[in-house]
Amino acid sequence: MYRLALNMLFGDRAKLAMLLCGLAFSALLMAQQSSVFFGIMSWTYTPMVNIRAQVWVSDPMVEQVNDAKPLRDTDLGRVRSVDGVAWAAPLHTSFVQARMQDGNFKLITLVGIDADTFAGAPAVLSQGRIEDLRLPDTVIVDEWGAALMGRMGVGPDGKPRNTPLQVGDTFEINDIQARIVGICRVKRAFTGGPFVYTTYDRAKGYTLGARRTLSFMLVEPQKGVAPAELCDRIERDTGLKAWTSDTVIWSWGERSLARNTFWWFWTNTGIPFSFGTAVLLGLFVGIAISGQTFYSFVLENLRYFAAIKAMGAGMGVIARMLIVQAFTAGLIGFGLGAGMAQAIGRVMIEKGMPPFVMYPQILWATFALVLGISLVSAVIGIIKVSRVDAASVFRG
Amino acid sequence: MSRLAHTVAVRATGVDMFFGTPENRVVALKQAGFEARRGELIMLVGPSGCGKTTLLSVIAGTLTPQAGAVEVFGQRLDGLGQEALTAFRRRNLGFVFQSFNLIPTLTVAENVMVPLLIQGRPFDEAHARALAILDQVGLKGREEGRPNALSGGQQQRVAIARALVHEPPLLICDEPTSALDKDTGAQIMQMVRDLSRSPERCVVVVTHDHRIFRFADRIAEMEDGRISRVVDDPKLLDTTHL
Repeated sequence: MYRLALNMLFGDRAKLAMLLCGLAFSALLMAQQSSVFFGIMSWTYTPMVNIRAQVWVSDPMVEQVNDAKPLRDTDLGRVRSVDGVAWAAPLHTSFVQARMQDGNFKLITLVGIDADTFAGAPAVLSQGRIEDLRLPDTVIVDEWGAALMGRMGVGPDGKPRNTPLQVGDTFEINDIQARIVGICRVKRAFTGGPFVYTTYDRAKGYTLGARRTLSFMLVEPQKGVAPAELCDRIERDTGLKAWTSDTVIWSWGERSLARNTFWWFWTNTGIPFSFGTAVLLGLFVGIAISGQTFYSFVLENLRYFAAIKAMGAGMGVIARMLIVQAFTAGLIGFGLGAGMAQAIGRVMIEKGMPPFVMYPQILWATFALVLGISLVSAVIGIIKVSRVDAASVFRG
Repeated sequence: MSRLAHTVAVRATGVDMFFGTPENRVVALKQAGFEARRGELIMLVGPSGCGKTTLLSVIAGTLTPQAGAVEVFGQRLDGLGQEALTAFRRRNLGFVFQSFNLIPTLTVAENVMVPLLIQGRPFDEAHARALAILDQVGLKGREEGRPNALSGGQQQRVAIARALVHEPPLLICDEPTSALDKDTGAQIMQMVRDLSRSPERCVVVVTHDHRIFRFADRIAEMEDGRISRVVDDPKLLDTTHL
């Protein structure tokens, strides 16, 4: 009977198309919006991804990575003296205005790293060498920032040049020249500004007037010392806050700065509500369209189901037929919707906007929700058919 | 069981059936009695609203009467639960409906296969048997088409094939010719008679189409919810009120 049930479903192409549209749209909305949500949330802890270190140390009042509370430079010595620390390097992060060649200002994320060890330096440089940061007035800009700030560049003829900044180009930070010696490839951040890397000492110069410039300390544990254990020791011995740097959302520990950043944005911004609303909308639209279409499919076939009942099919058989029909439509609808979400995601990833991270878990959750929609649709149909009297087939 | 009991296919005695609320009760059957034998084609006739369809539904086990006894091939139906009734219909009954009730999204062959698939027969076996019986009803070559592409007469032939494909001992036909013209109706009745004729099978036809009375072995006339008389010769019936 299940084969016939499927033939009944596929035989009514108009209804099937409508049903699949509803389910696919629902799956698309849920998967795409969830992926954009996790993409945006992944941007909130971008510094953790770009600036690589096993342990981060901050002021005890720091709640998330974008909210640096300056430390004293002497804190670095205190951390270095903690048992189990292999090395500790200073890190400066701040938002400053950069003045471009055309006179416009651009908010940038200034990252000052240790000039001796280059701890926290970007992993990939598409142009230039990291060692050149030791030259005077030098910076490394990320690719996206170079393209963005390039629009504010001026060519030799004095007209806007509209090409990405290159090695050798200059701009100003607080009236101090910044000469580009490298272009790096890093992940974009929630705050939107380009990443501009320089040395820690030069960053002090760029942030004139700031009494304290040590935002975080990047720490490497000695061999055999677990990051979480070292965090405990640092907190106990210095009174500072120490964090692990795991950024994998499904496995990060309680000490992860990325995790705390994620939840800070979760509880302090309207992002989850906005995207949660969109996902719920997808769910309701799916239930409404699919439920209604499937119900109308059942209504249209009601007298045939009644005839099948009269011929001796039990309600169990008919219920399973309806479930097979609804779940088959759900599977196809999910495939179409998830496929479209992937395709849109590819375009987004190529364009870099908006951020898009489709975890397998998102697909599984969407799959489960689409099957849930199918189940609701099937149950509505089953209730309707169960109320049909087999004797009704004799009433013309 | 006596030989007499074997010859009786359907026996209904003292059947009461009413619909609606106690305050607004519509009596459909009132102490109705009915008997059909193996090997015969019996017609239930009468004016609209006399209770023909209700009695047919009671015999088919799709309605349970409020009072009385219904026995089909020695099996009391009035005491059976829904599941047992469903299983009974699955094994013993074939249906030909007034409006055919062929599923338009299935092929002709798939429609015919339905009773066999309900019985849990394998798809391939059901398909082979459907093709064979469609050949018998003269629809060879139309098996993979849709029912809507067929004429009314052809659709009713498909319905007959579906009703007989699982070889049920009781064939229930509800106004099988009402949607057909005179000649087609006669052809269909001839086919019902030819294909269903078997010493073990009983055919019960509800109709008000007096043009097909000649196909009946016996005719039971209903009036006001009960059988008023049973005749062997249709000429004995007054058909002016049908």
